[in-house]
This record gives sequence, C-alpha cells and structure tokens, in this order.
Amino acid sequence: MKNIFLKNRYTLLLTVLAVYVLVLVIEGAITGREAKVVKFDNPFFDLNLNNFEEFMDNRD
Amino acid sequence: MDKFALNQFLTLLKREVLEHRNLFVLAPAFLALLLLFAAFWISKQFPRDQLASGVAYLAMLFDGLSPVDMAPVFMIGAIPFVFLLYTCAFVYLMNSLYQDRRDLSVLFWQSMPVSNLKTVLSKVVTIAAVAPFFYIAVLFGVYLIAMIWLTLLGIQFDIEIVGIGYMFLAAVVSLVFVYLSAIVTALWLFPSVGWLLLFSAFAKRTPFMWAAGVFILVGFLEDFLFGSQYLANWVESRANPNQYVIFSFGDLVDRLFNYDMLFGIFVGAILIAGAVLMRRFTD
Repeated sequence: MKNIFLKNRYTLLLTVLAVYVLVLVIEGAITGREAKVVKFDNPFFDLNLNNFEEFMDNRD
Repeated sequence: MDKFALNQFLTLLKREVLEHRNLFVLAPAFLALLLLFAAFWISKQFPRDQLASGVAYLAMLFDGLSPVDMAPVFMIGAIPFVFLLYTCAFVYLMNSLYQDRRDLSVLFWQSMPVSNLKTVLSKVVTIAAVAPFFYIAVLFGVYLIAMIWLTLLGIQFDIEIVGIGYMFLAAVVSLVFVYLSAIVTALWLFPSVGWLLLFSAFAKRTPFMWAAGVFILVGFLEDFLFGSQYLANWVESRANPNQYVIFSFGDLVDRLFNYDMLFGIFVGAILIAGAVLMRRFTD
C-alpha cells in the first residue's frame, strides 16, 4: 500500500488530497458545519445574509 | 530535543533568514522608511500653531491611562506591516520548497544530515515566529523614532509632554499583541500554510496555479461526489479576523484552545506531512 501511495508525486498528491477531503467532509457532516462569515452580530441591527429576504421584508 | 538537534534547527532557521532577508528584513524596513517620510511630509503641511496644538493633544491623550487598554490604538499603525507580512509570507511559502528544487539545492540539503521533516518545519517556524519578529523589531524602531520626534517637537514648541511615557508603554504592549496575533494567525491558517507548502513541494512549474486550481477543483469535486459543500463552508467559517487577532492577554487562551483552532492544526498537519513526503521526489 505504501509503495502505491509513494509511487510518484501524483499518487502522493492524490492520497493527501483524498485524506484532506475525507477528513473535512466527515467533520463537516458530524458537526453540521455552516459558513459563519455571512452572519454579522452587532448591537445596532440584525443582518443574516443567509436569510436576506426576511431582512428586506423587515426593512419595508 | 538534544543540543545538536537544537543547533541544527537554529542553523536551518538562520539559513531561511539569510536566503529571504529581502522579504523579512528589507521589505518592512523599506515600508517603515516610506511611512516615516510620509508622516514627516504631512507634518510639514500643517501650520506651526496647529502642529503645536496637535502635539499637545497627543501628549495628553495617553496620560494616566492603562497601556494595556490603550495598546489597540497603536495596533492600527501596525496594519500596513501586517498586510506586508501576509503578502511576503504567501510569496515565501509558495516559493520556498519550489525554489529548492528549481536551483537543485535540494540535492545538497538532502546530502546533509538534515531530514525533510526538519527542513519543512523550519519553514513553518520561520513564517510563524521568526518573520513576525523582524517585522515587530522594525515597528519598534518606527515607534521609537516617532516618540523621539514627538519629544523634539515638544521641546521646540515648549510643551510639557506628560503622557509620552504612557504612550510609549502602550506602543510596546501593542507590539506584543501584534506578535502574538501573528503567531496565532499562523496557527489558525495552518491549513493554508500546509496547502501552499504541499504545492510548493509538488509543482514542477507555476506552483501558484496548481495551488489555486486544485483548491477550486477539490471544492467542485466534493460537491459532485458527496453533494455537500463542507470544504467551502470550512474555509468561509475561518475567514473572520476576529477569530485570530488578539486585543488583550485574555484573548490568547480563548484563541489558542478551542475546537476550530485544534482541528485546523490537525488538517494543516496532514498537508504538511504531504509536503514532507513530497520532498523525496526531486526530479
């Protein structure tokens, strides 16, 4: 198995990327990870870009 | 770690600094000169009485205030240096292992009693702790010159600069915060560091194109294979500077010991392990 992974640079890259993707997908599925960057918490107003329609309705 | 191994590692760090002194020493020094000249030129544009009242205001501003509380004010002055550090770090990580193979110096280093692991780790430590140290040293020089200049202006305008001691202490504490922030940022962005090093060790040419291209491709591939977008979510969820910038000593423990930080270090370690193994292919 080790010989296959370390056969050449391409097989090694594919192995590393496969491990990377699997770890992130499994972790994401277990923790239910969602993007946080679009949520702004501030004392002045509530803005959640995940729910932009509701924000526009509230504005009206 | 025994003394020989420690000396060996320190020599590797010294090598990194000597080979990349343009990025770590000359670049921040040039920026500092540029900013000092700009500040000097701007001060010359003000009339004498306005400059005197400005100096009096600055001298009073920090008087009696806690340097730790006022340090974030001086962190604003570090922003251009932090941006330059990130830019230089990106260029360094993208080219360091690639350049070794391109000029064939990798063959020389592999003939030495230095493992690939130590070589790659020396690059990680360089970018996380050594490079920020030079930037902080330059920034300290800038603040010192600014304080001396302020003192001279105070003498010139016959103003008592009572708060300059507090101001200098706040500047020094801000440098500690900026240095700690740089280290925490490197740990927080450990997956990015690993990604860049992996493709720097992998690509036969244009490592940036490989790194950027595969990053986008892997995102599409995840969507295609698993029907999920956890990779994109993961990247997005780690893109907020509030997650790694330090404004007080209390922030340090919170930033370092949390699940996201430790998981990021784990993922980064996978990619860095890949970069270490990739070093064996020197063709």
